[in-house]
Amino acid sequence: MRPLPRAGLASGLVVTALLAAACGSATSKAPAGTLRSAPGFDPVAGTIKVGIISPLTGPVQAVGKPLTAGNEVYFNKVNAKGGIGGRYKIVFEERDSAYVAQQAVQAYNELKTNVVLFGQVLGTASTKALLTGLKADGLVASPASLDADWVREPNLLPIGGPYQIQAINALTWYVTDGGGAGRKICTLAQDDAYGQAGLQGVDFAARKDGFSVTSAKTFAATKGADGAAAIRGLKDAGCQAVFLVSTPSDTGTLLGLAATADFTPQWIGQSPSYSSSLAASPLGDYLSKYFMVASEGTEWGDTSVPGMKDMLADIAQIKPDQQPDLYFIFGYDQARAVVQVLEKAVALGDLSHAGIMAAMEQVGTLTFGGLTGDYPYGKAADRVFPRETTLFKVDPAKPVGLAVVKKGFATDQARQFDIR
Amino acid sequence: MTKLVELIVSGTIRGALYALVALGFVVIYKATGVINFAQGGLLLIGTYLTYNAHVTWGLPFWPAVGLATALTALTGVAVERTVLRRMAGQPVFAVIMVTLGLLIVVQQVVPAIWGYDRLNLDDPWGVRRLSFGGIHVDLKDVWALAVVAVVLAALFAFFRYGRYGLAMRAMAIDQEAAMAQGISARRVVALSWGIAGAVATLAGVMLAAGSGGVDPAKDVIALAAFPAIILGGLDSPVGAVVGGLAIGLSQALTGGYQPDHAAFLGAGFDTVMPYVVMVLVLLARPCGLFGTRDVVRA
Amino acid sequence: MDGLSLFASRRSRNLTLALIVGVAAYPLVVRSELWLTVLLFVGATAIGAVGLNLLTGFTGQVSLGHAFFLGLGAYTACYLGNPTGGAPAGRGLPLFVWLPLAALLPGLVGLVVGPAALRLKGNYLAVVSLGLVFLGAHVFKQWSSVTGGSDGTSVAPSLALGPVDFAGIGGLTRNQSLFFLVWGMVGLTTLGSRNLVRTRPGRAMQAVRDREVAAEVIGVSVARYKLGAFAISSGLAGLSGALYAVVLTYVEPGTWSLALSIQFVAMIIVGGIGTTTGGVLGALFVGGLPEVVRHYSASIPFVARTASERGLSLPQLNQILFGLCIVGFLVLEPRGIAALWARAAHRSGEHRVQARPHPL
Repeated sequence: MRPLPRAGLASGLVVTALLAAACGSATSKAPAGTLRSAPGFDPVAGTIKVGIISPLTGPVQAVGKPLTAGNEVYFNKVNAKGGIGGRYKIVFEERDSAYVAQQAVQAYNELKTNVVLFGQVLGTASTKALLTGLKADGLVASPASLDADWVREPNLLPIGGPYQIQAINALTWYVTDGGGAGRKICTLAQDDAYGQAGLQGVDFAARKDGFSVTSAKTFAATKGADGAAAIRGLKDAGCQAVFLVSTPSDTGTLLGLAATADFTPQWIGQSPSYSSSLAASPLGDYLSKYFMVASEGTEWGDTSVPGMKDMLADIAQIKPDQQPDLYFIFGYDQARAVVQVLEKAVALGDLSHAGIMAAMEQVGTLTFGGLTGDYPYGKAADRVFPRETTLFKVDPAKPVGLAVVKKGFATDQARQFDIR
Repeated sequence: MTKLVELIVSGTIRGALYALVALGFVVIYKATGVINFAQGGLLLIGTYLTYNAHVTWGLPFWPAVGLATALTALTGVAVERTVLRRMAGQPVFAVIMVTLGLLIVVQQVVPAIWGYDRLNLDDPWGVRRLSFGGIHVDLKDVWALAVVAVVLAALFAFFRYGRYGLAMRAMAIDQEAAMAQGISARRVVALSWGIAGAVATLAGVMLAAGSGGVDPAKDVIALAAFPAIILGGLDSPVGAVVGGLAIGLSQALTGGYQPDHAAFLGAGFDTVMPYVVMVLVLLARPCGLFGTRDVVRA
Repeated sequence: MDGLSLFASRRSRNLTLALIVGVAAYPLVVRSELWLTVLLFVGATAIGAVGLNLLTGFTGQVSLGHAFFLGLGAYTACYLGNPTGGAPAGRGLPLFVWLPLAALLPGLVGLVVGPAALRLKGNYLAVVSLGLVFLGAHVFKQWSSVTGGSDGTSVAPSLALGPVDFAGIGGLTRNQSLFFLVWGMVGLTTLGSRNLVRTRPGRAMQAVRDREVAAEVIGVSVARYKLGAFAISSGLAGLSGALYAVVLTYVEPGTWSLALSIQFVAMIIVGGIGTTTGGVLGALFVGGLPEVVRHYSASIPFVARTASERGLSLPQLNQILFGLCIVGFLVLEPRGIAALWARAAHRSGEHRVQARPHPL
């Protein structure tokens, strides 16, 4: 046995630190000013704390980082103008979940008595793991994904049309104006909740538009999945259009296989299937010919849309080195929704957790200057999620590699889609 | 019929890459008697060094691959010298866990340096492809097969005729007797780590070429190659190649036919097929198809 | 050492009692919800680590398949305990039914899988048990009527045991109340395993570990004890998984990953292979270290703490430390924290440390 005093010291330190850290707890100040203090709200210092739980490590940081940057830029812009209600500055507490639900739960428990609400929770699994706590504690969180499940949850503050809407609008456009009438339409989706959401939309469109899905393939959204078989199957079935539900890394692999197999249908991808790095890859050429993305808003740099004009001005002022990115826009929109709820809560004079819940019910319609669809709020059962979709095609010359095909349209079929 | 041929082609190519990774395992196993879980880490290091040399420093492609191969081989030797040498004589499981610990470190250090985004290797093949009677094959896959063949031939020559190759074989048979014959166990073990690093680099480069892309998750192929070595037997290079091809083909064929003919097995069954094959083979032959049976010592 | 007494010495009994009082008082004294949550995860995983230590540390069998049995336990708890109206629907059975079964069922599966796995040794067993994780994940994904498939399932079984509801005892929070359930089970598991290893079967297990053939020669049924250890280890993994899921409140097939298995192996390596307290100490170290690091991260250079900062992220730093701990302990102190502890006690001259063969 070799003596190892340093390791002994280290473990001793850990135990001591465990105790030291465990003993430290926050104390709140006495109420002062016009509004009463609440967890995360200090009227004396004039600060409102907002929690952000996002994967800033791991593959999903490609989503988490720009999204959080979008949050930051919008919050900083509001702060520069004086803050919420003209006097309360937003302080954001960021925690890195690394896309692990356990980490998200720990971060939530750390922050829950310290923040007025959670301005971003990214990850379907993380959001679902937090729901129990959110409900028990009466807290609000804004999920950074477009799952339809979120719409009717009273503790969640979702923005944007659910994934189903993207699929319905895109396919309805394809079989009417897009020249796809009578063509063989197929699907390729990852076998999880996110894949299911897209497929639900496809099925709904198929019923309403009277087409049938020729071939439906899935692939395991695990790393190292071999999609060759699925691509082969779609090609065998003679598919002329394929609705794709995947994430950028898998999209690269799958379309690479399709290109090799000389399989050239019209691909239509759910918004998270795409990232700008794809346009710049060796597949860029194949993508510009055969790939479309169903998303919302407008292309980066289109100043005819007021929201885009404001956003670009904010970036120039606050974070000039920000690269064009779709997730940045989402984060910016999300912070905009959070700010509207906070403004309402200040107007109602209550920034407690219950006050935020009340403000969310009474906030009216959340607006985004055309970056995403306006969203009438109310009780969870009365929320009317936006039904607009924008179709993009890949164009490596554009800032995010995307050019608008058809901007901000809602089909009747999408209007008929609802979630109970 | 075309379908079958295409599946066989894609299965063979994938299997060849498994085989390349598996050869790295076998070389280290032969010299040390332990599976190196950090093989995937060496693959990452080799691939990113190639990217760095070629894209960042602007070296031509093949010299960049050569440089990265050499550097990764040196990394392998360095890891063996600094860490694993201290584990000599320790139980198998302890050594496995050390390599696993090293893998965990590499998995974080690589993205800390190069980030998580998919990078393009900018290889000479891109997405160009060849056609043989209606069947398309990526140009880079043809090269991958060639690389596997060359590496395999080189390893065979090494084990058959090379001084250290013979030494390694002797070590695998009986370490004490080999050392009594004047073989330096230390050099042989270090060399095996060097070879493993070099082979891992080539596997990583062929995996990342074309539309594959360089990303920090590429090391999972090492996990998928485990069944290949178990199937082939841990100490047999031939077994590694046969095991790799068997796994690649079974995966491709399962993916091609199972969804239509055995849908009840569920979507994505092809990804777990290698493990199913592995378990079935082990139930019949606990040391794989080509492996040497361990002698139990009291 | 007297195999029949509950504690090895009066000192050990006093220490244990002090520990029990300390742990029981913790949720009442320290009200940090963060640390309660961290220690809930630590407690839940500690049970699995104690189980793995029985298999690996005391019987010498390696397994990277622990996560699979955790998943089995979690889904057993969901299937039996979740409310009948949910999706997927549970059976709404009470705590005293689903909790024991969450250990029993995985234990039985361990008995079934065990004979095939335990024919293999060392390298082969490591890889095959790893295969169990991948095959298990596939089954969990397909069996959506129980597991919710890839959508996952919420975990909301009844936590009431007679008049005591561990979802909220008196005026305590859920985390405070759960703390008693989880750490109560940790106590039972640790005491149980401590007594097991001191009795005849325990000594037989260690004989299997140290000299398998010799054990057979002196009349120990190697196969039987290996299988027994595998079943107990699987059962404790199931219990661990059920409690882990209750703390997490939502699980999906991806929760039961290879990374989780590796965490358990790391716990026993760091805590102390072949010691009863090793599993708990290791779980405390692996679960607590990241939060301690985060607490002091402001004074660590090159660490990014927000999305826009450059540098090593905290999870990256923690994973690197995690990997280095595995390597460091194996190279420098293969017997883990428990040995460091024992040596410290030995140095103070109060306690004699028995010489033991190498833990593996």
